Amino acid sequence: MGIELILRLTAVELLLRPMGPWGVRPLILAAAGLALLVPRTLSSSLTWYALTALLTARIVADWPLPDNHIYLLTYWCLALALSLGATDPARTLATNARLLVGTAFLMAVIWKALLSPDYLDGRFFRVTWLTDARFTDAVQLLGRMSASQLTDNREKLAPFPEGAEPLNHTPPPDPTAFQYLVLMSTWGVLALEAFVAFAFLFPRGARASPLHHLSLLLFCGVTYAIAPVAGFGWLLLTMGVALCRADQRLLRATYVVTWFLVLFYSEVPWANVAVSWLSARSGA
Amino acid sequence: MGTSRIAERVAAHWRTAIPTALLLAVAVTQVVLVRVADLSPWKGGGFGMFATTDGAAFRYVRLFVDAPGRSEELNVTDSLEFDAVRAQLFPSQRFLTRLGEAAGARELRNGREAATVRVEVWKVEFSDQPLRANERRLRSLTIPIDWRPPAN
Repeated sequence: MGIELILRLTAVELLLRPMGPWGVRPLILAAAGLALLVPRTLSSSLTWYALTALLTARIVADWPLPDNHIYLLTYWCLALALSLGATDPARTLATNARLLVGTAFLMAVIWKALLSPDYLDGRFFRVTWLTDARFTDAVQLLGRMSASQLTDNREKLAPFPEGAEPLNHTPPPDPTAFQYLVLMSTWGVLALEAFVAFAFLFPRGARASPLHHLSLLLFCGVTYAIAPVAGFGWLLLTMGVALCRADQRLLRATYVVTWFLVLFYSEVPWANVAVSWLSARSGA
Repeated sequence: MGTSRIAERVAAHWRTAIPTALLLAVAVTQVVLVRVADLSPWKGGGFGMFATTDGAAFRYVRLFVDAPGRSEELNVTDSLEFDAVRAQLFPSQRFLTRLGEAAGARELRNGREAATVRVEVWKVEFSDQPLRANERRLRSLTIPIDWRPPAN
C-alpha cells in the first residue's frame, strides 16, 4: 500500500500540472494516466524510466525555463524506477527520498545564506512582497498594507536608468507590520529550510525520525499557504510518504491530508477571501 | 581487499546514490553558470529560487534593429517571447544570437530592412536603505542579419 500510494501521488501530480512542449507533454500525460489506470504499469520500473526520460527531454527542450521542482521530479522518477528494481523497494525509496529532500534543501540554504547578495538583509522579501502581484492579498493581510499603499510603493520602485539618482528621494518608512513580515519571512524561511536540511541529512543512517516528518510537514503546511508552487509541495509530501514505515498509517494519512491542504491553498484564494471579509467587517 | 569493499559498497548503494549524485552535479553546474555566465539563480536546477531578486521578473530584453536609413527599437512580440525569456534568463552567445536572428528574420518577413539586430539583456538591481531600483545592462550582442534576395 505504501509504495502504491507514493506511485499514485506522483502520477497524479504529473497529471495536475501538465508540462513541456507538445512533443513531450502528451506522452507524459499518457504515461501518468496509464500508470493510474493499469496497476501493472504503475508498479513497473519501465514506466518510471520512461517518465524520467520524458521529463529530462522537457528540461532540455525548454532549458533554462523549467522550475527547480521539475528537476527534483525527474530525480524522483529515476529514484522510483531504481527502487522498484531493488530487493527492498520500500527501504531503497525511503533512502532516496531522504537524500533528495536533504540535498535540495541544503542547496536552497546555501543559496540564501551564502551565495545570494540580497537575501539576508531582507531586500529579497521586501521587494517581492511589494512588487509581486501574486502576493498582494497576503501582504495586505499579514503586512497591514492597504491597496493604495502597495500601488504607491510599486511606483516608487520603478527603476532608474543606469547611474541616475533621484531628486529629494525620501521615502516614508514601511508600516511596522510590514517590517515584521519581511523579517519573519526572511529568517523564518531560512530557519525552516535549514531545519529540513539538517533533519534529513543528519544523522546518517537513520531511516526516519519524528524530526524528519515534523520538519517536512511544518515546511509544507506553512510555505505553500503563500508560495504559489503547489507542485513542489506535492512532490515533497509524496517523498514524505516514502519515509513512513508500513505500520505508520496515521502519519501517512497526515501527509495525504497536507497534500490536499496544498491543493486547497493553490485553488482557493483564501488570503483574498480573508482580506475582503476583514474590509467588509471594518466597513460595517 | 580495498577494491572489493568499494565494489560491495557500490553494489549496495548505487540505486540510492545515482539520483542524489545527479542532483548535486546539476546544482554545482548551476552555481558555476550563475557565476561565470549570468544564468539567473532561480533557474538551472540549483534550488536558488526565492533567494534573490535576480529572477525573470527583474530581467528584460531590448532589441534594436539597424539598416541603411533605419535605426529603432523593436517590441518583443509574442512570436519572440520564448527566445526572449530564454536569453534574459541565460544570456549566452547562443541564446542571444538565436533571439537576434529570429527578430531580424521577422523584420525581413514583414518587408522591413534589417542589417543588424542588437540584443541587450538588462537587469533591475535593488539597493538597500533606501530601497531603490536601478537598471544595469548585463550583456549585449550585435547580430548581422543574413539577407538573401528571394529566388525567382
